[in-house]
Amino acid sequence: MQDIKDINLDLKNLRKLIFLTAMKAAGSGLSHLASSFSCLEILYALYVNKAVNFDLNLRERDRLILSKGHGALALYAVMSRAGLMSREELLKSYLKDIGGEPSIRDLKGIEASTGSLGHGLSVGVGMALAQKLDKLNSRTFVIIGDGECQEGSIWEAAISAAAFDLDNLAVILDCNNLQKMCAVKDMIKLDNWSEKFKSFGFNIAEVDGHDVDALNKILNLKNHDKPLLIIAHTVKGKGISMMENNANWHFKLPNKKELKIFKAELDISDEELS
Amino acid sequence: MQRAYMSKLLELAEHDKNILHVISDSGTGFDEMFRKNFPAQIYNFGISEQHMIGAAAGLASLNKIPFVYTSGAFLAYRAFEFIRDDVCFNNLNIKIIGMGSGLSWATLGPSHHTTEDIAVLRALPNLKILSPATPFQVMACVELAYKINSPVYIRIGMNSEKEFFNDSNLNLKFGGSDLIIDTQASDVCIFSTGSILEEAESAATILNGRGIKTSLINCYSLKPFDESAVDKNYKHAKLFVSVEEHNIMGGLGGIISEIMADKGIGVKLKRIGLEDKFASGYGSHKAVRAANNLSSEKIIKAILEALNERV
Repeated sequence: MQDIKDINLDLKNLRKLIFLTAMKAAGSGLSHLASSFSCLEILYALYVNKAVNFDLNLRERDRLILSKGHGALALYAVMSRAGLMSREELLKSYLKDIGGEPSIRDLKGIEASTGSLGHGLSVGVGMALAQKLDKLNSRTFVIIGDGECQEGSIWEAAISAAAFDLDNLAVILDCNNLQKMCAVKDMIKLDNWSEKFKSFGFNIAEVDGHDVDALNKILNLKNHDKPLLIIAHTVKGKGISMMENNANWHFKLPNKKELKIFKAELDISDEELS
Repeated sequence: MQRAYMSKLLELAEHDKNILHVISDSGTGFDEMFRKNFPAQIYNFGISEQHMIGAAAGLASLNKIPFVYTSGAFLAYRAFEFIRDDVCFNNLNIKIIGMGSGLSWATLGPSHHTTEDIAVLRALPNLKILSPATPFQVMACVELAYKINSPVYIRIGMNSEKEFFNDSNLNLKFGGSDLIIDTQASDVCIFSTGSILEEAESAATILNGRGIKTSLINCYSLKPFDESAVDKNYKHAKLFVSVEEHNIMGGLGGIISEIMADKGIGVKLKRIGLEDKFASGYGSHKAVRAANNLSSEKIIKAILEALNERV
């Protein structure tokens, strides 16, 4: 288990990698930086701190689905840190061979192609069912967004997960309270997901979504009888002060002026950005 | 056709434990038998078609072979994006069986009619489309679909459809078709798909009796399609006809139009089916077909008019 200082440095470097990757590909297009920053610790806890056994050679491996696919950069960065892809390959391939949404076609280690919201949880239910059917001692993890919970298919999947007693299914809600245009609460007058999922038959846990230690503890807990929902309280754009909690940053890259702040906060030199 | 489907599925499920009978509260009356024999191979997701397809993708990712079965309308329309993004984009080995094809649910009206499925599903890469005309052909199509490891949509009816074959050993192939009536030097070439074959066959027989040389081809493979069937017959024909329990836009008529355009075949094509309208009327399947231009009488009338109109 890593030292907290090492973890924080790791995370800062990962945010830096995400940012550099996005900026390097800026000529091709924009990126979902803020959404990637909010789920970074979750992915880190899963892959790097090995809450998940994701040895691709094993059929009994655990599965991770990033249902909020626009957090792809965080997934790629963590996969790179976990040894599934080199840093250089990521920087080279992003928005050329691998896209803004994860696809199994593009990168080994992606368990499900996502992009349109509300699909990944259903796919996760199917995987968890198959794991049970084959009596594999494995789990399926699905990361969903709170905006994503506006899609009806999420609730179909939730009903189903409980109906099939999928205690090997762990859903992590990256609860950053924002969506593309505004706060989730302003869009749908609703922000208490705990009650909702509990009433749908889930065990509920809540955690600071940026505390790797706490995430790890929860991910490693034995879960029984019901599917598990982990509400990870996160900050959209975490890591860059001007992005944090600001809906304007959903699909945006910094302009020249803003770039200075990004560079300062992430310790990025001019050379690194060229 | 439902019985034919389930009997074939039971047979396949016995020999391949990875085959799953996947439904969304869309029971057939044979499910109890299935459950009794193969309890670990049946999954009912309840009234959640989008979720069912997504879950099927998850199951297929771990090497299960889901045979997903419900109304074609609910699959092709409601779950279209899930078929597209989760099944086709990942090219997963899932068989999607849309029952109640065309106007089969004849008492329930258009919400339950599957009359645009060919049009929308054709545009999905990686998805093959089969459209069996009879119960035996349903069994043969299911067998054929099982042979490959990629997505297949099979369009089947649900009422006691007329049988044209002796058994289910039909040696079907993707991109194949059946020459049902082979009339030398035909003036008229009818292409039919699905159980409407019954009406098309009646029409073709009557036309031949009246001295209008008519051939009839049953198109059980819509994607890929037997292009040679179009190619082979054009030298003689004055008129091509497509007959389908489907909108005339984008279905069998669309497929044939595309082939003819690609190959520069300059024969007039009369597309018979729903003329870009929702079907009207309620009653028996036969009655609703008749009310929507799909009885043999109406087919004959349309063909004769098309022949007279010909310049």
